[in-house]
Amino acid sequence: MRSLIDRLRGVERDIVQPPEGRSPYYEAQGNEIAVFEAAWRKRLPVMLKGPTGCGKTRFLEYMAHRLGRPLVSVSCHEDLTSADLIGRFLLEGESTVWQDGPLTRAVKAGAICYLDEIVEARTDSTVIIHPLTDHRRRLPLEKRGMEIEAHEDFLLVISYNPGYQTVLKDLKPSTKQRFVAISFQYPGAETEARIVRTEVEGLDGDVARRLVAIAGQARALKDHGLDEASSTRSLVYAGSLIAAGLAPVEAGEAALVSPITDDLDLAQALREIIKAHFGA
Amino acid sequence: MTDAPGLTVAQVLAELDELSFVASRDMKAAMTAIEPFGPQGLADWALAGRDLFLFDRDAGKAFWRASARLAGVTGGAGGWVGQARAFISFRGSWKALTAYLAQFAEAHAVFGADGVLEWGAVGLAFARTHLESAEIYFSLPPARLAGGRGLAGLHELITPINELVCARGLPAGLALPGALDVRDAFGAAAVAPWAKRGADILRAGRLRGEAFFRLEGQDSEEALLQESPGFRSHEHERFLGLVAQAVFGASPPLRSLGVRIGKRPFIETDGQSLFMPAAFPDGEEALAAFLHHTGHLAFGSYDAKQLDALFSEMGMAHPPLDADQRITWRPLFAAFGDDMPRFQLLFDLFEDFRIDARIQARLPNHVPRLLALAQVVPDGAVRPYFEAAVASLEMLVGRRPLVEPWSLLAGEAADILTAFRLARAWYAASGWPAVTLADRQAAYLPGRSPNSQRPVYPRKDPFGAEPPEPEANEGGPAAEAAARAEREATGGQDPDLEIPPEDTSGSGGRVGVGRPQPASRSQRRPAKRAEQATGTAYPEWDYREKAYRRDWAHVQERALTETDAACAQGLLAQNAGLLRRLRRAIQAEKPQRLTPLRRQLEGGELDLDAAVDYVTERRTGMSPPAKIYRERRLLARDTGVLLLADLSTSIMQRAADGNGQVVDRLKAALLLFAVTLEEIGDPYAIAGFASKYRDAVSFYPIKSFGERLTAHQRAVLGGLSGRLATRMGAAIRHAAAQLAQAGTSRRLLLILSDGRPADYDDGGDGRYLHEDTHMAIKEAADRGIHAFCVTLDPGGGAYLERIFGRGHYVVIDKLNELPERLPQIYLRLRGA
Repeated sequence: MRSLIDRLRGVERDIVQPPEGRSPYYEAQGNEIAVFEAAWRKRLPVMLKGPTGCGKTRFLEYMAHRLGRPLVSVSCHEDLTSADLIGRFLLEGESTVWQDGPLTRAVKAGAICYLDEIVEARTDSTVIIHPLTDHRRRLPLEKRGMEIEAHEDFLLVISYNPGYQTVLKDLKPSTKQRFVAISFQYPGAETEARIVRTEVEGLDGDVARRLVAIAGQARALKDHGLDEASSTRSLVYAGSLIAAGLAPVEAGEAALVSPITDDLDLAQALREIIKAHFGA
Repeated sequence: MTDAPGLTVAQVLAELDELSFVASRDMKAAMTAIEPFGPQGLADWALAGRDLFLFDRDAGKAFWRASARLAGVTGGAGGWVGQARAFISFRGSWKALTAYLAQFAEAHAVFGADGVLEWGAVGLAFARTHLESAEIYFSLPPARLAGGRGLAGLHELITPINELVCARGLPAGLALPGALDVRDAFGAAAVAPWAKRGADILRAGRLRGEAFFRLEGQDSEEALLQESPGFRSHEHERFLGLVAQAVFGASPPLRSLGVRIGKRPFIETDGQSLFMPAAFPDGEEALAAFLHHTGHLAFGSYDAKQLDALFSEMGMAHPPLDADQRITWRPLFAAFGDDMPRFQLLFDLFEDFRIDARIQARLPNHVPRLLALAQVVPDGAVRPYFEAAVASLEMLVGRRPLVEPWSLLAGEAADILTAFRLARAWYAASGWPAVTLADRQAAYLPGRSPNSQRPVYPRKDPFGAEPPEPEANEGGPAAEAAARAEREATGGQDPDLEIPPEDTSGSGGRVGVGRPQPASRSQRRPAKRAEQATGTAYPEWDYREKAYRRDWAHVQERALTETDAACAQGLLAQNAGLLRRLRRAIQAEKPQRLTPLRRQLEGGELDLDAAVDYVTERRTGMSPPAKIYRERRLLARDTGVLLLADLSTSIMQRAADGNGQVVDRLKAALLLFAVTLEEIGDPYAIAGFASKYRDAVSFYPIKSFGERLTAHQRAVLGGLSGRLATRMGAAIRHAAAQLAQAGTSRRLLLILSDGRPADYDDGGDGRYLHEDTHMAIKEAADRGIHAFCVTLDPGGGAYLERIFGRGHYVVIDKLNELPERLPQIYLRLRGA
């Protein structure tokens, strides 16, 4: 098994791949699995909302595995154009060749297409998804003068993280209302501790619980200078550093304080909280 | 002077006999003690006494009366005789001499046989410039002057003061008593800068200077704060606030108790705010104390219901309230009479334990920290209390088994009533030594303090639910300041203790006025007035009716007449560094901000898509235009912003960090914002607003979209001041109408506020204007205007999400950062 994975690493693979191997670990926080499955059955596009690092991407990986569909992820950025999603003509020798973009590939292959942080993309790219998200389920390829009827199993998923840097970049209501939304929050304390323990091999249960307690208190500082609170991911990082032999207080500093703030008072307050739970 | 000493003495005696019977009797009584001085010494002594007596009768009498004792102390040495005689040079010096003689014995013990004369010489030197100073100097206990270091201690204290006496004519006596306190509290090095500052202030104004040296008033406070060693609370308010926010989900308002020399750093609370001592010995104790007291607020020590239950336990129907609607504690303890401190100690012991147990559940190092601080166990009657506190805390961290009664308090079910009942049981069981009020404070572990120091406002809402009263209420800032001063004046010592006991028995007595009744609000402005109101009328949303009130609020545009060009200039100069940084940031950002223009006829790089299209189309036989380049060029950003500043009275408050007023930072922020936007070139406007009743919402346009920033507009920004209240909804509607004229496709309404929406006529219903503001924001959104709120209210998170929506506000709890953050927030909002 291990050797098989090793052989797959560092090797180019096509972006449309049916899920294989073990299912990614995911701990349900609420009814999100049921909602997603229902949306999937009716092929309704889904919007995942929630703060950074709370498990949106992991959830989707898990669902793709569970539903046995390939997952095509595209991280959106502000220079992402519709051509980057749909495809473009390339020159090959003496002729031009059309190359499908990731969205087109997914539409054809019946994959789940995940557009991460869609608000960051240029508006022209958000508009092209409109015909895909309603009853038409079609992707127009203007440059080629054609239209693709989406594969029966195609599903569009976007993520959307409302934060103050995106006030002016907010998704248009007309875009938003085309989706079924699932809201994510950081998981409850017990769940989160279980997640951290499962993610970090060999981490003591007590340490995981303390990390979660730290995160719970640190999250209360959001809006008080913290733009992004400590995420489950950063807890996993902190746990990993501890498991790798770093002292807990140092691991906390490296994973939970320094990355998220440059504000001295805030850093001191966070340190104080870490110290409170790990003693020093 | 005669040759025969014996003769001189006889002569002096004879002279005195004629002058005063008492004097000669006193002299004779002292003579035997002086005899060991030898005949010459005796004669000198007698002459000195006579001269002093002739100079001033009181001086002479004091001299003879002190003589026997002084001779006993010094043995044969007569240096004091000469020094005493030297007082003759100063008219009216008998008081100083009396003080000298009275302190001489102690000074001799402290400074030694030679040192004592130096001590005297210092005082005589003072007398030469200012006799009263010498009097004060000699009346100070020599041991304190020495500060445990003998003559060296005396000199380190006197030298800096002497320098000021010579250089600036500072009366030494004015500075000396304070200097002793300053040295005791902050060390010898602190004396010189402190005295120097005092001399400066004295020069500026006599009364202020005198108050400074008495360690009273603002000037002294500031100077002492600068000298305070250890953990200075005011420098760490934000840090403490953040920790409380993390642990308890809210942070209490902090007020300063000022510098308290020689007292333990006890935090006090009125049930709403924490009153912080200026300094703690170290950060650990400060944090422990802060968390403990915030714990009291968070875990119900001052909850109205709990307090009701407490008082009814003692047979009082309602807690007695003072005129300010605060509960006074004394009646609760009245039944214990003189033994009150003993009961209070037990009560606090249990209640503090309950609180620390609750905090420990959230912060596992809280109790270990308290225990680490409690290293020095006090002696005397308070020792058992202190030891019981330590032992109980040790139970919480498993160093001892948790036993009753402590186990009853260690859960969430326990409340202050549990603590009170346990305290009564232990009080009755006795075995606890009586404690005086003076000793009481030593019984508290570092970090804890007496819980009933001040009258408290009973908390109706759980901690963090709602900040106290809304900002706009009766009266302006002056009334509030007066009320605050009154409130603060009652702090410090337990005001209850000043109430005679006969007034505190029964169910409230004089101090109680029973349950608070809602004040009947007079309709101070008849509704009719609004009908004649001028200006633009806007509707207002009434959430109770679920309907708009038509033409309800009237907005008048007014020009701000106050200008202060110098202030504007000063602020810009002051923030020159920041401005440079902002400019650099904008310039550094420029290349990135340039939007790539695709499919251009010329440009710096190839546009790959366009090129491929071009080639494709050529191949198919068409002749497309050669638009295959892309170019980065400055594209006018299509964002218009209107900055709407809340100009209500609250901006005139002193800044929480004590330096200047909120309005100063506000001015700086607006100026920097304006200058930065000029630099960027985005269309922007600036306006302010304030309100008094619904018919008078003032909207002050400061800069409109079309124009460039003028010197006059800068001066207006420099001269901003606060007035009236915050009827935000009407102002937002008016601003939205203006923004519609901005002519840009993206429109941002940036609201700069320092508190919640409120007005004089909202009838105390805070929700009304909240809901209306929320509706105004929704209306703006419908017109394609994004509203975003920048607030200075640290408690803003509690209500802004409801008004502006998630992610549409930012709380700036570090006022100093406002000038820097405001332009940054704008840049971030509009997108790089």
